[in-house]
Amino acid sequence: MARSGRDERAWVRGAQAGSASDLEALFRAYWPRAFRAAYLVAHDAAAAEDIAQEAFLAAIRSLDRFDRRRPFGPWLHRIVVNRAIDWARARQLRAETSLPDLPGRTEPSNSLLLAPDHAAAGGNPQALAAAISRLPPEQRGVIVLRHLLDYTPGEIADLLELPRGTVNSRLRRGLDALKDEL
Amino acid sequence: MKRELERIEIPGEHEARERAWSLVRAAYAEREPTPQRASFVRPLLVAAALAALVAAALSPPGRAVLEDVREAIGVDRAEPALFALPAGGRMLVVSSVGAWTVAADGSTRLLGPYRDASWSPFGRFIVASTQLQVAALEPDGDKRWTLARRDVRSPRWGGSRTDTRIAYLSGGELHVVGGDGRGDRVLARSAAPVAPSWRPATFHVLAYVANGRVVAADAVSGRRFWTRRAPGATHVEWSPDGELLLMQGPAFLRVYDRSGRLRYDLLDTRRGAATVTAAAFSPQNGIAFVQRTRGRSFLWTIPRLRPDASAARQVFSGPGTFRSVTWSPDSRWLAVAWPNANQLVFVPASGRGRVKAVGNVAEQFGSGSAPRVAGWCCS
Repeated sequence: MARSGRDERAWVRGAQAGSASDLEALFRAYWPRAFRAAYLVAHDAAAAEDIAQEAFLAAIRSLDRFDRRRPFGPWLHRIVVNRAIDWARARQLRAETSLPDLPGRTEPSNSLLLAPDHAAAGGNPQALAAAISRLPPEQRGVIVLRHLLDYTPGEIADLLELPRGTVNSRLRRGLDALKDEL
Repeated sequence: MKRELERIEIPGEHEARERAWSLVRAAYAEREPTPQRASFVRPLLVAAALAALVAAALSPPGRAVLEDVREAIGVDRAEPALFALPAGGRMLVVSSVGAWTVAADGSTRLLGPYRDASWSPFGRFIVASTQLQVAALEPDGDKRWTLARRDVRSPRWGGSRTDTRIAYLSGGELHVVGGDGRGDRVLARSAAPVAPSWRPATFHVLAYVANGRVVAADAVSGRRFWTRRAPGATHVEWSPDGELLLMQGPAFLRVYDRSGRLRYDLLDTRRGAATVTAAAFSPQNGIAFVQRTRGRSFLWTIPRLRPDASAARQVFSGPGTFRSVTWSPDSRWLAVAWPNANQLVFVPASGRGRVKAVGNVAEQFGSGSAPRVAGWCCS
């Protein structure tokens, strides 16, 4: 989505002033990647929806004290990716035996888990997603921030409050694992 | 790689965006901009409480997820006390010290040390129970009569203005007694610990659970009209017009017609549904229910019944457990007891408009834990 920092600041300013259309512009601009980032880390559509939704609701709650000089995207992405990592870790620990679903949501939440022959096909985005799902959540997070959301390793280190060397090593290990898988 | 990541298909992406947008828009509409932001944030937040509630594994110490936004457990801007009911009527609340009535203006009255209670069909009386007693009460708590029985649970009052019956559980038996306290008899043995439900508009048809089956029976003659298998059923309830019967279990939510034909199977259990923890018919035959999954509870409404629950609308969610769900008499509000937040939450059934909450409810109802709503009657 092409958008300038000026657009973003204008939307934030408008939303702070009570403009629903500016809020919608902000939402439409940032939701797709926020949701996608959450999904790639959590690998569960329902959880990704909750995570991205909660991040936006948090944004609404703190809109009045949001510093317009700061970019909105990193602030939102930081919440989303951190929460998604937390969710994925917790899920690993809980070792769910069945996949809960909610009415009105018609898709199975583990639909990324493709058949092995499908996943082995090179250049297949679903195979890539399946391979990412097998990485540790921390590696998923940095890969999503780097390769979906375009942050530099230094920016990722700031967002996740990690040493830059840790970010680099997670990226390298994650990408090596993906290469082996695909 | 970026292109590949952007091409990954996500199930229900469009629907998720629109659901989220409707929630964000509603939250934005309810927001009241103010420079005194700090006064909005409930004190009950911070990482320690969150960590305790969401599970210790979620966040390593020192790794703050949010810089200036912390997730509160509970609804922001909760009233410090129950000053008024949002839709009038009178509420029955049960806490660990007993049963209470709550008037529309928020005034409360402790009826006595009862562990369950329900309204009579027209809200003129209350039937309540201790472990060893069934009691018919005036709304001010005066006793009309009592009946001593063992291990009494789930008294429910049904009937017309001129002829009423009370059904209750005593140990493993289902009893029925006249509204005047006379003629107590056992209707069924091996009854499950599930509150029976009287079919409105008839004073003698009762639904109850026994031996893994839901039974619709004539409480006077004892004749069974029909039974249906329902292993694990935790709640049965006739619709207000008496045409439908709701059966709830942890993994099912089904609606039968009065003849026992399955009309709606509301959860798709083939994929493994989240646990259903509460359900209730609205006065206008809609349904509200609560599901719990991954440490959160979700409140749904189904304004119009359809076979696949596709009309279900999520109207509220939060970490922890919602202990009960109760409709207001005008069907516009849902009362949800939220022990983790020590709040009683009033959610607009339409999903639009501001959620209202009352904090400190355990203290208001003299209890160490949050109470549950046992009924909301008669506007």
